[in-house]
Amino acid sequence: MADTTPKPSQSNQPTSNLLNNKYELGRLIGSGSFARVYHAKNLLTGETVAMKVVSKDKIIKAGMMDQVKREISIMKKVHHPNIVKLHEVMATKSKIYFAMEYLRGGELFEKVSQGRLKEDSARNFFKQLVCAVDFCHSRGVYHRDLKLENLLLDENGNLKVTDFGLSAFSENLKQDGLLHTACGTPAYVAPEVIGKRGYDGAKADLWSCGVILFVLLSGYLPFQSKNIISMYKKIYRADFKFPPWFSPETQMIVNGLLDPNPITRISASELMDTSWFKFNKTIPQNVKPMSESDGIESEEEKEKETLNAFHIISLSEGFDLSPLFGERKEEEMRFATAAAASRVIERMEEVGKAAEFSVRKSESKVRLVGNESGRKGKLAIEAETFAVTAALTVVEVKKGGGDTFEYNQFCSKELRPALTDIVWTADKSLTT
Amino acid sequence: MRSFLGCFRLKKAVHKPGSGDHAILASETTFTVNEVEALHDLYNQLSSSIIDDGLIHKEEFQLALFDNGSKQSLLADRLFDLFDLKQNGVIEFGEFVRSLSIFHPNAPEAEKVAFVFRLYDLRCTGYIERDELKELVLALLNELDLTLSNDAVEAIVDKTIMEADLKGDGRIDPEEWKELVARHPSILKNMTVPYLTEITLAFPSFVLNTGVQESEL
Repeated sequence: MADTTPKPSQSNQPTSNLLNNKYELGRLIGSGSFARVYHAKNLLTGETVAMKVVSKDKIIKAGMMDQVKREISIMKKVHHPNIVKLHEVMATKSKIYFAMEYLRGGELFEKVSQGRLKEDSARNFFKQLVCAVDFCHSRGVYHRDLKLENLLLDENGNLKVTDFGLSAFSENLKQDGLLHTACGTPAYVAPEVIGKRGYDGAKADLWSCGVILFVLLSGYLPFQSKNIISMYKKIYRADFKFPPWFSPETQMIVNGLLDPNPITRISASELMDTSWFKFNKTIPQNVKPMSESDGIESEEEKEKETLNAFHIISLSEGFDLSPLFGERKEEEMRFATAAAASRVIERMEEVGKAAEFSVRKSESKVRLVGNESGRKGKLAIEAETFAVTAALTVVEVKKGGGDTFEYNQFCSKELRPALTDIVWTADKSLTT
Repeated sequence: MRSFLGCFRLKKAVHKPGSGDHAILASETTFTVNEVEALHDLYNQLSSSIIDDGLIHKEEFQLALFDNGSKQSLLADRLFDLFDLKQNGVIEFGEFVRSLSIFHPNAPEAEKVAFVFRLYDLRCTGYIERDELKELVLALLNELDLTLSNDAVEAIVDKTIMEADLKGDGRIDPEEWKELVARHPSILKNMTVPYLTEITLAFPSFVLNTGVQESEL
């Protein structure tokens, strides 16, 4: 590799099929004006990724370099089961490589192009979409380019939103179908976005969700026109017609989302509160709702480990490098107590029951699981106790599932207050 | 005043290793050249937090680890000493990268085992002595504001030495340490920092000014 003279090639074709001795590039799976996407394999893990290759020249010419950097940081923030994950970024003097989660289920677009979906199936996808979108909004991230082409499926038929945050150069990788919007057409764009006034990113994304729901149920776009001006007009007036098979409930939902006035347009929380949204029919095939696949697997009770002096030492904050990376380990809380393990477990159980969580426990472990699905599935809290001596118990509390923000909130509002009197402090020192 | 400092900072030449240095570091660690470049971004932040001289001083290291920079921690001091490979009182960029490499999830287990052994071998005798272990336990209890009776501390230390010291000489040698860690892998938990796999996302500035040629990736 070192002896090949690099050619001043302007093409997007990588000069070698091995990147960083880590990724082996395979076949081209999509291309557009900004990017090419390759099938690639991580040689260290065997994992398949989608490698998006972008020419820096083009990004710089379009003046989008800062936006790209900002959006990489955004992608790092939005880890969610319904959002395509960005694993890593690589760069050379001329190109940027995005190693992204590769999805085997193809595009939702393909499914719809074979025929419109039944209401239950459409609702299932739509719920996952709204979950992902609402999660991002809770992190201050807006997609701004939601469309059917950005919705992919994994091998289990779960929906994953792609190009979240990378919308700066999102584009159609294929231009073959009726529903594939040509670059720049506003089929999914909210009226206030066309107006180019300042707008609420959350409400604009919800409009696009409304268009997507319409497309899933009908098989075609709600706003279509031969020329762009008349299309704008239709969007401004929310001028569309329901086909006869839309149920009254779905019509109500779509009308709520495709409200040209962003202020009266339904919000994500209002939407998730509707009985239509909450309706839960057991979905056939292997399509699992996200909440159940999100980390609430039952695990075998591990063999109990006794703590020695080295475990105690490693509790030191000075031996935790994560703050160097701007990360505080909020997800794990460790404390020492003079209380017996059974008392800690008992206390946790009370907290769980008070919050109407389901409780599973053993002698040394307790697991609280929320009954309602949060932003990232059901919230789960696990606590494990380790007896160091008869008079010293170390307790480790960590998130077993769900959203980190919700977990942190639960810890500070419910858990910590309930545990304060047993957490060890200097004034309650031990006298053995 | 602030703007003056700002100007001053702009003019100040920050030591910037050439891409050659980065390539060497990458070849000798678990990081790729891009990751070394991303780490350089982090290093620049850490090394200019108190004294903007392109070197990480002990105070800057503590400031990065604790919200409260004045907090004392024996293990943070020990980490600094081990990072400072040249023992000249500052962590240079190369030392920073080489040391962090051991904390990477893909770093060889043996390196992590050896690193923690050196961390706890406070007086560099080649053994973790009983009194070193006790000192470490006391330091932690102090850090957590816990007071345990001397008997209780002795009991914890004794129990651990008894378990680890297979040869019965009252101290832990590297071999015994290896076996202890094999039985209690969670002792090494702090040696793996998952965030290290995401540094290219956390510090993406390198995508603009990377020195990597297309032929080198």
